[in-house]
Amino acid sequence: MDLIDRLADEGAHESVRASLDHCVKCTICESFCPFSAATPLFPGPKFVGPQAERFRDPTGSSPDISLDYCSGCGICTQVCPQGVKIAEINARARGRLWAEHGVPLRNKLIARPSLSGRLATPFAGPVNWALGNPYVRNLVERIGGVHRHAPLPRFAGRTFRAWARKHRSPVAPKTIVYFHGCSTNYFEPSLGAMAVAVLEHNGYRVIIPRQDCCGLPLQSNGSFDAARTYVRRLAASLAPYARRGHDIVATSTSCSLMLKREALEILDVDDPDLAIVSARTYDICEYLVLLHERGELATDLEPLEATVPYHAPCQQRGHGIGKPAMELFALIPGLNAVDLDIDCCGIAGTYGLKKEKYDISMAVGDRLFKEVRTAGSEVAACDSETCRWQITHGSGVPAVHPIELLYRSYNLSG
Amino acid sequence: MNRLEADVLVIGGGATGAGVARDAAMRGFSTILAERGDLAMGTTGRFHGLLHSGGRYVVRDPPSATECMQENLILRRIAADAIEDTGGMFVTTPWDDPAYAAKFHDGCKGAGVPVEELSAAEVLRREPRLNPRISGGFAVPDAAVDAWKTVWACARSAQEHGARILNYHRAVSLHVSDGAVTLAAVMDEATGETTEIEAGFVINATGVWAGRIAAMAGCGGVTVVPGNGIMIAMNHRLVDTVINRCKEPADGDILVPIRTVSVIGTTDSLVDDPDENAIGRDDVELMLAEGERLVPGFRSVRALRVWAGARPLFKDDKAGEADTRAMSRSFALIDHRERDGVERFLTITGGKFTTFRKMAEATLDKMCEQLATERPCRTADETLPGSESGHHYWIGARLAAREGDLTGDQLICECELITRHRLEDAMQRRATTNLDDIRRTLRLAMGPCQGGFCIYRATGILHDLARLDGPAANNSLRRFLEERWKGVQPILYGDQLRQARLDDWIFQGLLDVEHLPESAPA
Amino acid sequence: MIYDAAVIGAGTAGLAAALRMAEGGLKVIVYAKGVGSTHLTGGTIDVLGYTPHLVEHPETELPSFVDAHPDHPYARLSVATINDALGWFRGRMTTYDYTGNLAANLMLPTAAGAPKPSALVPETMAAGDLRGGGRFVIVGFTQLKDFYPAYLADNLSRFEAAPGLPVNARSVTQRAPIAQADVTPLSFARHFEDAEFRKAVIAGLEREVGGSDAVGFPAVLGLGEARTVCQELQDGLGLPVFEVPTLPPSVPGMRMFNALKRALSKAGGTVVMGGPALGADATGERVEALVTAAAARTRSYRARHFVLATGGFASGGIVMDSTGAVKESVLGLPVAGVPPTGEERFSPGYWASHPMARAGVAVDDALRPVDADGDVLYANVRIAGAAIAGAEPWREKSGEGITLATGYAAASSILESDA
Repeated sequence: MDLIDRLADEGAHESVRASLDHCVKCTICESFCPFSAATPLFPGPKFVGPQAERFRDPTGSSPDISLDYCSGCGICTQVCPQGVKIAEINARARGRLWAEHGVPLRNKLIARPSLSGRLATPFAGPVNWALGNPYVRNLVERIGGVHRHAPLPRFAGRTFRAWARKHRSPVAPKTIVYFHGCSTNYFEPSLGAMAVAVLEHNGYRVIIPRQDCCGLPLQSNGSFDAARTYVRRLAASLAPYARRGHDIVATSTSCSLMLKREALEILDVDDPDLAIVSARTYDICEYLVLLHERGELATDLEPLEATVPYHAPCQQRGHGIGKPAMELFALIPGLNAVDLDIDCCGIAGTYGLKKEKYDISMAVGDRLFKEVRTAGSEVAACDSETCRWQITHGSGVPAVHPIELLYRSYNLSG
Repeated sequence: MNRLEADVLVIGGGATGAGVARDAAMRGFSTILAERGDLAMGTTGRFHGLLHSGGRYVVRDPPSATECMQENLILRRIAADAIEDTGGMFVTTPWDDPAYAAKFHDGCKGAGVPVEELSAAEVLRREPRLNPRISGGFAVPDAAVDAWKTVWACARSAQEHGARILNYHRAVSLHVSDGAVTLAAVMDEATGETTEIEAGFVINATGVWAGRIAAMAGCGGVTVVPGNGIMIAMNHRLVDTVINRCKEPADGDILVPIRTVSVIGTTDSLVDDPDENAIGRDDVELMLAEGERLVPGFRSVRALRVWAGARPLFKDDKAGEADTRAMSRSFALIDHRERDGVERFLTITGGKFTTFRKMAEATLDKMCEQLATERPCRTADETLPGSESGHHYWIGARLAAREGDLTGDQLICECELITRHRLEDAMQRRATTNLDDIRRTLRLAMGPCQGGFCIYRATGILHDLARLDGPAANNSLRRFLEERWKGVQPILYGDQLRQARLDDWIFQGLLDVEHLPESAPA
Repeated sequence: MIYDAAVIGAGTAGLAAALRMAEGGLKVIVYAKGVGSTHLTGGTIDVLGYTPHLVEHPETELPSFVDAHPDHPYARLSVATINDALGWFRGRMTTYDYTGNLAANLMLPTAAGAPKPSALVPETMAAGDLRGGGRFVIVGFTQLKDFYPAYLADNLSRFEAAPGLPVNARSVTQRAPIAQADVTPLSFARHFEDAEFRKAVIAGLEREVGGSDAVGFPAVLGLGEARTVCQELQDGLGLPVFEVPTLPPSVPGMRMFNALKRALSKAGGTVVMGGPALGADATGERVEALVTAAAARTRSYRARHFVLATGGFASGGIVMDSTGAVKESVLGLPVAGVPPTGEERFSPGYWASHPMARAGVAVDDALRPVDADGDVLYANVRIAGAAIAGAEPWREKSGEGITLATGYAAASSILESDA
């Protein structure tokens, strides 16, 4: 039987709810959950997932508000030996919970980075100043429910798309599509420029199509309908390129996971555009490693004498591909990349921004922050933007996407 | 030798017996109920939990259907807490005669069963796991009823009206003098002690065992043929509505969402011994095949436990009919004064759970007639203990309760969300060392792990609470594992096999139950 | 990238095999769909406990056991190999020492109070050895629902190690200084790593433990700091202290997992946890690549050697569907010990011997999978752990012995073939 068929047959598209049948109560998930370890307010993944799900009416909502303390990090699903899709069960239950109770305004606001990006970018300077001002932050906490110390990023002012409009990607035999995501566009446009440079250096013409948010923050905050609208729109923008046979790479490892499987598993978006986009979406490190396996990766990597602690974000591990960033680091001469192998930084997307969850988030990330600090290096590396901001916030050490190290090693800044 | 006196002795603690005891006590009779095992351990505790709207009988037996619908409404009122208002559907699959649908619809109208026709799309919208090839259906007011809750509520109600409930007391003899039953002897299963009960009237409500008790009073030939049927509990609710196949009633055509599981049932084979509860491999295969027709992918769903119950099919030898058409599912109230010349003795058997209250009413009415006293039945008017609020059971109840106290109490049975306080309370109330008794009361170990994690905990707690010695507690644990295996072994495949092996790891590899001290032989 | 070896499964067998190969200089990847048996095992290494007769000296009884069970995994190994595996394992456990050897089984109490024979045990459990009899006090905590000291002590007191060597056990239940009512064993372990917590526990017990030879606790005495925790308790109480393993997830098992994983990382090995392994690309008698389910696609891992350490029915390494069809779930290897279709797989009595109890993949002396005729199916594949046919690990009390020894031996076999 063709392996793709077998993939389709068994497990991969098994309904999330039906996967609860595999739970044998071993409680291994709970022993790895960093959030139930940090707070008694979260009863634990086994409890909230396969166990409570048997007590839920699939169309109604759940009486257990405590499930909202699940961060959605997905570690439970990764360590489960039986294949229960625990985090996905929780996410779906959360959607139903907020559908019944109504999504709080705070959740609605922080879940729309492209909207806040569009509104704030023209006023980036003053907005950044305000968000850095303790009095403003106190007010925002009291009224808006965003913790005053939460690691909010700074608006870049000039978006990545503005840069892209001015950028001509050289004609090349191979073409690739870049899904940059909201964070690159509004907060880290230089990351986007570096990613494009690395891809061009590897012989690709880079297309940056019209695109918007993937809807992940909306999904994780329970606004399922809005999330579906966004992800369908994104899939529609990218699908024509996928149909032409182009691969899609993303620098935001959580957004690419949304396209790869979460939109289907959690939001039930069963859409031909999404299906073809899913099949063509890659995390950028994943893609470069695959190139390397085919002997197609540009290997003119110059030495970078540095020790860099690396944190693989939970969502990156959720791709099930190991840690391709570490494999790329191994190709850079002189680079001592240290896989910290610590579970979670605590931010879990927008979870750690929330007033009532910030302390839990910082407690979860504590061990990671300590390790990064004691590594004594200039930068740490991490594939997810929200994790980078959290790591810097918790440890004081700047954090970069692994692509940036490749960029420097390829010496592309000249 | 203990001696007790009562106006009425009821033998048999299933739904009928508990209903009779309640009715008798409410009519002011001093009442004793004797049950050889735990309440509802017989047929009552072994059915699928379907509270009939009557839809199943509208074509073949309209009066029975009408009766079901009437009692359905009464029970919803008086036993609200034990009933989940799931509603029911009769659906037409590709394997069902489409012509039956019209007969069904007409039958419902004729019998007074509320019915609403549904399109295929509507059926699948309500229950997306059903077979997409279903062509249409009907909505009827079926519901899911928790038999144990109902029976225990009746027993409590009876107690509130002065009755005594003696479970684990087996009837061993009935004494007939001057053509009347005057005395009964029951034996305490735990101690072996016999108690004599001087009763003004004896009611034999032992269901499928009725013949044995009737024979004790010299009333032979009361034949109740056990119609064995198996049921399988699937690990989660595949549907939230009771689903029936819209066809002539046959095997495997019901899927009932009851508490956290879905039950598929049932088969129909005549057996000799109602205590045998055999589970044939062919029957299991039949249930899975029929399940697959209703819910595609059924065979991959986790099967938790299988059990058999014996329907009481009354066949009166003295009626002189030889063929099986004499065996009825309607209930049979046997007037032994008329039939056998034995006074102060009635047998009530046959019937179905949905009509238990009515069966009890008919029995007490007959008894009152024979005693020449007029005492009206009020069992339909008074709500059962626990159902005072009128709120039906809802699936999220235990989850909501736990949410209210996440840090204050321990969860002993995690699968079924049973807290330590609840468990200890039940152990004390029931005063039992049999973990299966607790299982029946609370659903302990009835979830996916089937006791893998909670039974060791429950044993430890029991040891402390009941002041058992080690060997006695070990005994409880061992007996539980043996009993559990009976219900798991015939459906051991897939996820449940995985669970069973993990449980073996725990009980044998980790706890080494096999080498725990045993009780010294008596 | 072509790995030297790919191990499928991250339980004791898989991690042991991977570590041994990584130490031998091979580039190793462990692929698993989740965490494995380490978190379920009590933490003791049980090599052979019952044949069904009690085994006091595994070393001397193994040969006759193997003669009686020629299809048992131990029949593929020599006693020397098992010994080597235990010795190797001891050297890798950095958290604390393991004591014991094949010459004589210790008898340790289970959480229910049965005396269980184990060959190799963590040092934190050794003081619970019942072979010399003794007076024990068993401590439990009200917030720990996975441990019942009174029940344990009651059963334990009925055990006589030998004539004149009775065991006398009593229990103490303490309220630990933790606010929640329901505290997991892992949470307890973390609390025990806090000095203030330990002080409070000792203070609460000081006057309760008199007249005993040793104090037993549930196995929650710390994670990486277990040695320090036990030492302090010992010093504080003035008595030897021991742990008793209880329901999963197992804290001693977690210690084992952490130690093995760390060692593997240091030796250059990689662990990837993802979706299930789907199958293999194979040509003739060699497996070329393992195909796994990643998000949105499959991912292949090419290697020269493979170790299948996916476990038995309990881990889903071997599965049976509702028609009774039995499969080995990754490579589709034939499963031995399965009764013909239509025949019963399990007896009606729980304690009886079950026809399918010993099902698994049959192997040759190099632990390569073989078919019914004994022909090797894949020359570059080894099977390790509970996936191997022929054992009833829970009855025999041989589970950890099998996983460790076959994991070690599979690695040895690969290292040898590579040399």
